[in-house]
Amino acid sequence: MAARALRISHVGLRGVVGNGLTAAHAMDFALAFGTFLDSPGRVVIGRDPRASGRMMREAVVSALLSSGHSVLDLGVVSTPVIQHAMRRMSASGGISIGASHNSEEWNALKFFGRDASYLSTGEATELLDIYHLRKFHYAPYDQLGKLSSDTTATDAYLDELAGAFDFDRLRRFRVVVDCCNGTSALLLKRLNERHGFRLVLINAAVDGGQFAHEPSTNARTVGLQLAPLIEPLGADAGFLFDVDSDRVAIATERGQAVSEELVLPLVAEHCLPLSPGRIVITNLSTTALVDEVAARHGGTVVRAAVGRQAAIDALSAFRPGQVSIAGEGTGAIMFSRFPYIYDGIVSMLTILESMAAREQPLSHLLDGFPKYSMLKGELPLETTRVPELLMSLQADFTGGRVDTTDGLRIDWPDRWFHVRVAQTEPVVRVICEQRGEPPQALFDSLMDRVRSLA
Amino acid sequence: MSAREHKLKVGVAGVRGVVGEFLTPGLAAALAQAFGTYVGDGRVVLGRDTRPSGEMILHAVRCGLLAAGCEVVDVGILPTPTIQVYIAATGARGGIAVTASHNPPEYNALKFFNARGLFCNAYERSEIIDLWHQSAFRHASNAEMRRIGHEAEAPKRIHFDRVLAHVDVDRIRARRFRVALDAVNGAGSLLSVEFLRDRLGCELQAIAVDPTKPFPRVAEPRPDTLGDLAALVRDRSCDIGFAQDPDGDRLAVCDETGRVLDNDDVLALAVDAALSRLPGDVVVNLTTSAAIDDIAARHNRKVYRTPVGEANVVERMQAAKAVIGGEGANGGIIFPAVQYCRDSYNGMAFLLDLMASTGLKVTGLAARMPQYHRRSGNVRYQHGRLATLLQAVEAAFPDAAQDRADGLKLTWPQGWIHVRSSNTEPILRFTVESESEAEADSVFRRVQELAA
Repeated sequence: MAARALRISHVGLRGVVGNGLTAAHAMDFALAFGTFLDSPGRVVIGRDPRASGRMMREAVVSALLSSGHSVLDLGVVSTPVIQHAMRRMSASGGISIGASHNSEEWNALKFFGRDASYLSTGEATELLDIYHLRKFHYAPYDQLGKLSSDTTATDAYLDELAGAFDFDRLRRFRVVVDCCNGTSALLLKRLNERHGFRLVLINAAVDGGQFAHEPSTNARTVGLQLAPLIEPLGADAGFLFDVDSDRVAIATERGQAVSEELVLPLVAEHCLPLSPGRIVITNLSTTALVDEVAARHGGTVVRAAVGRQAAIDALSAFRPGQVSIAGEGTGAIMFSRFPYIYDGIVSMLTILESMAAREQPLSHLLDGFPKYSMLKGELPLETTRVPELLMSLQADFTGGRVDTTDGLRIDWPDRWFHVRVAQTEPVVRVICEQRGEPPQALFDSLMDRVRSLA
Repeated sequence: MSAREHKLKVGVAGVRGVVGEFLTPGLAAALAQAFGTYVGDGRVVLGRDTRPSGEMILHAVRCGLLAAGCEVVDVGILPTPTIQVYIAATGARGGIAVTASHNPPEYNALKFFNARGLFCNAYERSEIIDLWHQSAFRHASNAEMRRIGHEAEAPKRIHFDRVLAHVDVDRIRARRFRVALDAVNGAGSLLSVEFLRDRLGCELQAIAVDPTKPFPRVAEPRPDTLGDLAALVRDRSCDIGFAQDPDGDRLAVCDETGRVLDNDDVLALAVDAALSRLPGDVVVNLTTSAAIDDIAARHNRKVYRTPVGEANVVERMQAAKAVIGGEGANGGIIFPAVQYCRDSYNGMAFLLDLMASTGLKVTGLAARMPQYHRRSGNVRYQHGRLATLLQAVEAAFPDAAQDRADGLKLTWPQGWIHVRSSNTEPILRFTVESESEAEADSVFRRVQELAA
């Protein structure tokens, strides 16, 4: 049994169902969202396949109908499919029910507003205030919303992607995909059936039962089942998606599990020369390889605090045309072609497009990058000691460029570290990276400094 | 009085309220979760009537039941008796009907049923309400979360088969009765057409049988609300007219002249039909006509009387192993050979069977019933005044026999008075019955004066 968990924040509602997250939480949060949106509106919803999603969906449907919104239910679909559908039908809001990369016992509600975008911090604050005040808008009995369903949203989404990518060139690749029993399985089956792709899908049972493994998009999970299959199947690449398909991790044709840090540089290398936008948005903990790649193509990197909300706020500071891509070291990337939509499937197609354009195998594309080595660690620390820690680190590590947006990051040529407090627990995260070999001495001294205060 | 209007009521049959500020989806989900916690993690049957808030409340109830670890069997839009029959027939843990029965369209309610398809009794209800008040819910984990299943056809088939097992279907079909129907666009809309036309071979003239439309008349089927049905009966020369409430438990009947029968007379006819076929006694509430006693006497059976309320009647019926029961004024006929519940389909089948077996028209059948004169009224009272009012009535009729099981009932050889408070509102209801119309009028006026 998972530990008791409930987290209510700007990003929405997230928790362990039945042990922290209850039906009442889901109901009230959806009522708050129904109250937050101008009524009557049209709200698009969808869910990932977790069994608890059935209960969460009922809460969301009744709450939205009750607040006077009509509801279009797309069923079990990926989060990007919901956002694309919202945009096609100019919906006033959207809710994605699913816990993304968290294990089965979790679930969550994610909210989208105008333009299918995540809520800004200002909007999210208003939503939270409504939730806490519990003064919800209830429509009178004869002005309640109506529920309808649409099972064609995935096909419509794939057709949009077919307009953005040259499927004739991409479908010849032999690709293995680890679907983590998530929404990507349904979507990619349709990509095979409808658009003639030859994707080999594993962990593709989507029945709300146990996941074959933790749905994290990182090199470790890629190494579990996906990477060992690549060479025996003679595949050109392997991709692994989290449950709602907004994140991706990759394996090369040689069966190597690729560090999740390399997904963003790989995509940036391909997208920057093609897009009018010159800006790459990422967070302070992401590899400096991104800066090197961006510089190569005349782009600039804007770094925001860690977390989806900070990225959304950073994005909103620019016109969509100015930004080429935005993403994190978790394999979640947003493309200028589809503003505000983090989409693992589009990441996969972009990587395949890059392979096709350069006529090179995936491992060669990665070999073209200079070597960067990253070390990550975390240690418990009373949150009251954090300012003292950061002040002393800033005093002692001199000569670099200092960024205090989110904890402390100091950059030197070819080397940087980032020390910050985790958002969800009293833990300090330490990340250092160096061009070339691992910065072991720097890392050890930072960890010692944290330990000395603990 | 609007400030004291009871827009949310947690009461006898379940929880009822005006949808919006009062009956919210959060409340419906929490109550359903309490119910699911009480009945345990098995199958729970869920259906609804056609009122506009039904879909919203249904999803809230599904949410609460799933959260409690129940498997939901969603039977969609169905009459309450059909849902109750289906619960009992399929060994479910219980069921919930989302319906405010005969109440106006702005209301909705949850009705809770136990594993036998009966309204939860007082003990079961208080357990559920206690769990709700304490928020002592079972919270199913992801691994414990079950599914929503759907069942559209079976409940209807099982219900109709059970009802029709107790009448001579071939004899009814052979008569090709011309029948008028007003289903108030309720849960019976589609079923009643199938029942009367396809199963009983009637030539059907139907109005208000579109479940997607609002209620075209007052939801409660009373003589003063059934003008359209009466006109239909006359215009199309129908043999009989039937009217249902939105969840199909109540029935009103219109004779071939377009006159809507008193509900007590409809019950009397059904009791006569049932006692003619099967052994057993009769249970009715204290407000039901003495005609029932006369009919039971003709068949040499006993009549038991209970406080008003379907649950009270059903409980006594079970104890007495009664063959039929009901509540006259409420238009409810309870025939346990089908299911312990008020069932308009039983009523329709019995009346058509009586017409077929006797060759009589409805006026002819009604004429064979004992003739009594009834007057009913009600008056709002202030809290705290109830005992004074009852004492005044009691003092005014010192020679009558007294029964205090539910308010006050006074009985004398040719008539009776029943005065009681509504279960849901501070309203005093009174009914007077007498063999003599003059006495009925004079006693009724007297009670009105006392209660004013």
